[in-house]
Amino acid sequence: MRGRAVLVAVVLAALVLPFQLGTSALTTATFVVIAAIGATGLNVLTGYAGQISLGHAFFLAVGAYTGAKLGADAGWSAALWIPAAGVVAGVCGALVGPVALRLTGLYLAIVTLALVFIGQHVFFNVESLTGGPQGRSFAPVVLGPFDFSAGQVLRVGSLEIDHNGLYYYLALALLAAATAFAWNVRRTRSGRAMVAVRERELAATVIGVDVRRVKIAAFTASAFLAGVSGALYASYLSFAQPGEWSLLLSIQFVAAVIVGGMGTVAGPLLGSAVVFALPTVLKNLPLVPDEAAGGVSVSDLSSIAYGLLIVAFLVLEPRGLVGLVHKPKEAHS
Amino acid sequence: MRPSILAVAAVAATSLTLGACGTGDAGESSGGNAGSLQTGPGVDASSKRIRVGDLNALSGPAAALGKPVAAGHQAYFDALNARGGIDGWKIELAVEDTGYQPQQHVQAYNALKGDIAILNSFGSPTTKAIQPKFQREKLVTVPASFDSIWGTDPTLAPVGTPYSIDVANALDYVTKGGSEKLKVGIIYQNDEYGTDGLRGFEAAQRALGFTDAGRQSYKPGDSDFTAQVQKLKAAGAEAVVLTALPSATGPIVGTAATLGYTPQWILQGPSYIEQLITKDGTVGAEPTPVAAALKGAIVTSFSAPWGDEKAPGMKQMLADQKRFAPDQPPSIYFALAYAQGKVVEQILRKAIASGDVSRGGILAAKENLGEVDLGGITPAVTYTSEGGPPSRQTLITEVDPKVPGFLKVIESDHASDVADAVDISG
Amino acid sequence: MTEFLQLLFQGVSLGATYALVALGFAVVYRSSGVINFAQGAMLLLGAYATSWLAVDVGLAFGLAVLVAMVALALAGAGLHAVVLRRVTGQPTFVLVMITIGAGIAVTSGVEAAFGPDRRLLGDPWGSSSFEVGGVTINSVKAWGIAVTTVALAAYFAFDRYTRWGLAMQATAADEEATLSVGVPVRLVHAGTWAMAGGLATLGGLFLAGFPGAPQPTLGDAALRAFPAIVLGGLGSPVGAVVGGVLIGVTEVLTSGYAPDSLGTNFSAVAPYVAMIAILLVRPYGLFGVRPAERI
Repeated sequence: MRGRAVLVAVVLAALVLPFQLGTSALTTATFVVIAAIGATGLNVLTGYAGQISLGHAFFLAVGAYTGAKLGADAGWSAALWIPAAGVVAGVCGALVGPVALRLTGLYLAIVTLALVFIGQHVFFNVESLTGGPQGRSFAPVVLGPFDFSAGQVLRVGSLEIDHNGLYYYLALALLAAATAFAWNVRRTRSGRAMVAVRERELAATVIGVDVRRVKIAAFTASAFLAGVSGALYASYLSFAQPGEWSLLLSIQFVAAVIVGGMGTVAGPLLGSAVVFALPTVLKNLPLVPDEAAGGVSVSDLSSIAYGLLIVAFLVLEPRGLVGLVHKPKEAHS
Repeated sequence: MRPSILAVAAVAATSLTLGACGTGDAGESSGGNAGSLQTGPGVDASSKRIRVGDLNALSGPAAALGKPVAAGHQAYFDALNARGGIDGWKIELAVEDTGYQPQQHVQAYNALKGDIAILNSFGSPTTKAIQPKFQREKLVTVPASFDSIWGTDPTLAPVGTPYSIDVANALDYVTKGGSEKLKVGIIYQNDEYGTDGLRGFEAAQRALGFTDAGRQSYKPGDSDFTAQVQKLKAAGAEAVVLTALPSATGPIVGTAATLGYTPQWILQGPSYIEQLITKDGTVGAEPTPVAAALKGAIVTSFSAPWGDEKAPGMKQMLADQKRFAPDQPPSIYFALAYAQGKVVEQILRKAIASGDVSRGGILAAKENLGEVDLGGITPAVTYTSEGGPPSRQTLITEVDPKVPGFLKVIESDHASDVADAVDISG
Repeated sequence: MTEFLQLLFQGVSLGATYALVALGFAVVYRSSGVINFAQGAMLLLGAYATSWLAVDVGLAFGLAVLVAMVALALAGAGLHAVVLRRVTGQPTFVLVMITIGAGIAVTSGVEAAFGPDRRLLGDPWGSSSFEVGGVTINSVKAWGIAVTTVALAAYFAFDRYTRWGLAMQATAADEEATLSVGVPVRLVHAGTWAMAGGLATLGGLFLAGFPGAPQPTLGDAALRAFPAIVLGGLGSPVGAVVGGVLIGVTEVLTSGYAPDSLGTNFSAVAPYVAMIAILLVRPYGLFGVRPAERI
């Protein structure tokens, strides 16, 4: 009963949030919600199935460029290119799955790292797709009469929703769907199979879990959500260089999952809020009044604080933000 | 419990869709009329303040250039305000660090655009990323970058000679108008900036007839240049054009030296910075390991040598630097940015005089500004409604570790038929 | 032929540095099962510490290097004692994430303190070089190879012949059993982190030698050394060294000979391509062993 009340309150708060924030805070909130979709995907792979991946940025890129090819270049509607971005990325994920079968733990982490580096090399060199090193622009979402480009507003009675708000609500709707999906996976047979693989692969095989299928399914689901997140992310950014899809981006997703609480439904949402909003929040704190005058750069200071906060937080609460709220039993189940 | 979320979401969604059947234009942002003055975003008539945006690279691969540029802008406007501003109007600079990353540049632009009257934008790939936006919003932008294509955009106010023309002029100088048949190669940064250098190289190759020894590229942030250097060495290039950033220039020239390769280096403006020669960019400080390899390199500079008494504006600049940026070592970027400040001032002055400091008014002022004398710190620029490059002449200098700024002027206004022939329409 | 020898020399020189970096990874992994993502930051810190001591403080270069090594060893042990020790028993990813966080903080800290520009290293070699059979040999690279060889020999002698080395091997093999025979396991762990710090200083130092320089992106080299440790097999010191040299040579030779059709700077990813190829054949690397699993 209490859980339900909290849920309704959270959803309502998320819905009215854009009207409480200024433009730059809303921009940050929109990025957080978009990222949370991808983090929810990574959580299925890492939190449920126990496969650590540093390659998430690659799948985001696949989604982004699929969206660009179909949306910006071919002129498809966003109702088509957003799901298509997920599907293409999901297929790439399914292809990586079998490799993961042979590798475990940190070996897998480093091989997925290779995905980021080799992927970036390809993106830097395939100019027709990515614009090469100088980057390319991405199409704004257009859904029927709804145009999400900068400068457009949606008027609902006396309320005005600008393009930031439009992206926010679209991402929020997709995030709700992704979260519902993840929540469902947890309760089903395949979700329990994933957890069995995470806890002990050999034992899972013995009790009849098809480890191969489970891993491929986890990679596919994770990459699908990454693709959707990447397509939205690039569209909202409106311009990106291949360098955007870097190891740092991957690390932020891993951080979001771990900081939020691995293997929980709410974890990736909380984690994304912290990991993706923190740099902006820190940057806007009045740490140094005048950087142009030769002082220490604000971005350096915020990075220092960011790194230290991750360390401090994980030392104090290794189970993640969810661990702060829930009792240990719930956090791990 | 799930139905209730869905219900809430459904109610919310319906209320949104019922309320409207689509998006519409936001309409022009806050304009106003204050007395006889037409105002626009970033102009506060009650306190007589004008906000100028400054998207700069204070971190990342171009930070070494971005910092003196930011300091130059700041010092110019501090000095201007201390002198009473523009007819009592004070200039307020809003600086954002975008790390030479187009995507960050776009974000910072979106955050700033509603509250600035004019914009300084650092870098080619970054400025390129926001170009459609400031064009649409008629926001006059002064790029700290010299792409050829800037001349064709009426909202842009570049201060200086385009890269492609600089490269063509430098090659004209090095090959003595094409009479010396050298083997020449180029290493360029694979983006807007580098591509423009390449454009000048190609035009010069066609016109001057030197042997093309190869075109090697790298991307910003790369740290290993063995491949590029090795290939030019193998091709026997006697002169090599560098269209790079200083963070790459050092390793490239150094790598060549470790391979026993010493061509005539031709450094395009942004490839050079004083700190490549000595530790802190001042004469007499400890030399860097690449200083020896850079001696005699040709540099196409942006601004008169630091302290050059032949430039009438130099004295004022040094006085302002002493007062408002006392820690600034000699820097062609500081000088360039200072000159840009002058351009911003002249545009705003004309707009205020015409009684219209809205976006449209400032744009009209820029298009009708004509020639702006920059006190010899950089060559004078001319803005008309027809566009085109503000200048086609190149300041050719040579690295000499003994003079302040380490650049000795060889020709202050080298022009050539080759440069005139460069197609800069993009 | 001269060109090939020139590139081979550069490759071995780079490979020697990678070997130092990879050995730093390997000793830590062997003792604590963690890949230390802060290794890149330690390289950076080592190079800047040396540069600061030699240029700004004015110590003799050799002394500056020794002081920097000690400082970094303390920093490594400190990271273990203050942070990582508190989270033993947590999932590996949590530990890895902590090293990532520490790495971000240190890297930005160095940039905040010293600025984004290239610095002088303060080494006595600068750009000096000599020629052997047409091959240009930079003094700093020659010294790099020599010092690395000595450091590696010292490490393996230490590991094989001293009580501490034995304790480290034993801790890696079975921590509880080692603890039960009275070895101060905690101290052993701290010792491996200290060693990683010392090795990182040497690695960073030679990475920052001509034509490089101490600059904030220096630590990225650690990312290029990842394939080396995987190639060799995580936790195998011998494998790390062999992998490091292989990767260095691969990188430089591909940069010289890779056709343009493979794209600009293919050399930067060539080690990763090689790594994947090898892992598909030998999932635990060249020298790694598949851990026995009990049900």
